[in-house]
Amino acid sequence: MSSPDRQALKRHLDLVGQLQPAYHQPNHAPFPDEIDHARYRALLRSPHDVGGEPDVPIPWEEKEEEQWELNTFATCECLAWRGVWTAEERRRRHNVDLGQTQYLSLPYYGRWLLGAARILVDKQCVTLTELVNKIDEVKKRYEQSSTR
Amino acid sequence: MSKVQHDRTHHAKKATGIGDPQCFKGEAGPAKFKIGDRVRIKDLPDLFYTRCQVYTRGAVGVVAAVVYESPAAEDEAWDNTDKSEWFYSVKFRQHELWSDYPAVYANDTLETEFSERWLEKA
Repeated sequence: MSSPDRQALKRHLDLVGQLQPAYHQPNHAPFPDEIDHARYRALLRSPHDVGGEPDVPIPWEEKEEEQWELNTFATCECLAWRGVWTAEERRRRHNVDLGQTQYLSLPYYGRWLLGAARILVDKQCVTLTELVNKIDEVKKRYEQSSTR
Repeated sequence: MSKVQHDRTHHAKKATGIGDPQCFKGEAGPAKFKIGDRVRIKDLPDLFYTRCQVYTRGAVGVVAAVVYESPAAEDEAWDNTDKSEWFYSVKFRQHELWSDYPAVYANDTLETEFSERWLEKA
């Protein structure tokens, strides 16, 4: 669109709002002719660009950072310092690449942590096999030492 | 087995002691817009990544500041940092962005940043 249509833009924002999980629009396995331009644009939109979409208020609550959150932040900063990602690539992965459901449903630093693991695999710093084996090993160690 | 070779420290080397985006200073050439220019936000395709909010597309605002040079978010998000462009802080009347904004608050404004590719003369 070289000359943007503000009315179409408003319709786009309304459509994106309706694609939020709670609205349950049927959207499983569509045929190609069920995707018009407006729906395509809504489906391709970045999950973090929520400005103007209809939604309910979120209550504001103060919360101290937990230790694992601080550790996650430091890990992600080290990945930047060592050139694994720039801040913008980190934001793309945390805010967009996870997709709508994970973006809305995971805690803030949960997205950071998942993104850090993902980029180490994507950029071949570790293999997924190594990562999965390590998670399995740590899980077992934790289960043995846990009283629950 | 094939591995992509990443230059893992180029950005840290470039920015150390200078800062980011200061380390891109002088790379974008002359700025296309100046403070006070009226600009319209372009509606480029939203594919994969951008930081240009959808609600600003097609709206007209005024350049409030020419802020810095940096690779655009669309490039930097994949570590493409060879081309920088100017960033502008643009001020909009709220009513321009939201047609149902109460007329009693006609002086309310919203200011946000864009890289040069998103702006055209209005």
